[in-house]
Amino acid sequence: MNICMLTWEYPPRIVGGISRHCEGLAREIAKSGHNVHIVTLEFPGASPYEEVDGVKIHRVPIELGHPDFIVWTLLFNHFMEKKIADISKNEKIDIIHAHDWLVAPASISSKHYLRVPLVSTIHSTEVGRAQGLYNPDSFLIDGFEWWLTYESKRVIVTSYAMKSELEGHFRLPSEKIDVIPNGIDISRYEINVDRNNVKRRFGIDPSERIILFIGRLVPQKGVEYLIMAAPKIFGQHPEARIVIVGDGWVKDNLWNLARSTGYPHKITFLGFLSDQDVIELTISSDVLVIPSIYEPFGIVALEGMAAGVPVVASNVGGLAEIIEHDRTGFLAYRENPDSIAWGVNKILSDFGYAQWLVQNAKKKVREVYSWKAVASRTIEIYEKALKG
Amino acid sequence: MRDRVTQITDEIYLLCILHNVGAIYPERALSIEEISCLASMEKQKVEENLNRLIEKGYAETKTSGETKKYFVTINGMRKVLSIYS
Repeated sequence: MNICMLTWEYPPRIVGGISRHCEGLAREIAKSGHNVHIVTLEFPGASPYEEVDGVKIHRVPIELGHPDFIVWTLLFNHFMEKKIADISKNEKIDIIHAHDWLVAPASISSKHYLRVPLVSTIHSTEVGRAQGLYNPDSFLIDGFEWWLTYESKRVIVTSYAMKSELEGHFRLPSEKIDVIPNGIDISRYEINVDRNNVKRRFGIDPSERIILFIGRLVPQKGVEYLIMAAPKIFGQHPEARIVIVGDGWVKDNLWNLARSTGYPHKITFLGFLSDQDVIELTISSDVLVIPSIYEPFGIVALEGMAAGVPVVASNVGGLAEIIEHDRTGFLAYRENPDSIAWGVNKILSDFGYAQWLVQNAKKKVREVYSWKAVASRTIEIYEKALKG
Repeated sequence: MRDRVTQITDEIYLLCILHNVGAIYPERALSIEEISCLASMEKQKVEENLNRLIEKGYAETKTSGETKKYFVTINGMRKVLSIYS
């Protein structure tokens, strides 16, 4: 099968979870003997074309930009369409697979132009990310998302929470949607790390215990609730430090909030780190907190579980499906600093409890979330779409 | 915190404009005049904001003849893309 996958982010262009999702999925599909083309956007330092692990990666230059975000999106979709037309001159494409609304126009036009089925994966929705539709851009994005699901033969989502969101918000028929969770490459986390050295590398004293957050600093990630929990955590565990990895447009607000807690010296913002640094820091941490207010899946939870770090996560969306409370992690109430502090303090105070969570979590990740299983189910969806 | 348009500062707004028009490589860098025109913002205000972006590592400058030109760094790109996803 010749598959053409469209995504606006693919390593090294990493914004959120879509990049890693597409990389893991594409590699595994290619490994099973199918031909996978990734059509994505240019990135400084990355080659316009390369083949990695059997995946053919086309990084499309955005030949013309525009100050307005939506127009910019439409323009890069146009250049993606041209690239797909070029690819199709040399080989017959069987399936178009779109990841999120940002590539909707190019995916839909290519579907019609090539007369092949379109499969889409909806990783999140605008109404969820923004917690409502409050401005013209949001309404437009919401429209693109609906249009992509409407034009798709099959729609893949990564959690039942997301399926229910699409059924409710877009009135999408249930039978058109398949739930396939994200996967993870566990072997990347099975490495020996000198925790003290890793801590020193990031300016953290080896005696400190790390409470880690990894993610984009945007409202949906709820980082403010972890920061607001700081006084209750440090009151019980003065040896702890909150470490925030990632960047985003609310960083300055979060930094001001950290100062207002009275503990800015115990809250470290590290910015964006490389994949390897993130893995080593995760392994060196004592608890991973995911305080999201909206999370269709939450791949970072899998990363924590694979790294052997106890996870405290909000009881929302996909996180509530990945984590079994008090068995594979701790589920805190949404937007509730007290609940987050309670979970973190319990894990930091009770070594046996923390180890119990870690053992159960590792077992679950190994059994349920392999890329091989995800790829195999995705290929089944492609076959279903091809049969009509 | 929920409305991405009204809550974005002038600094981030300028970063988005630089990114969206393609100033992500030194060879596509733009002058203060060009950015001021695209953003409909006074040159002095543009310069102040760009200096802050440079301090934070989100933008860089290159000199072309006698003109100073600005472009977005990889960290700046990630900052912009966080708004859109």
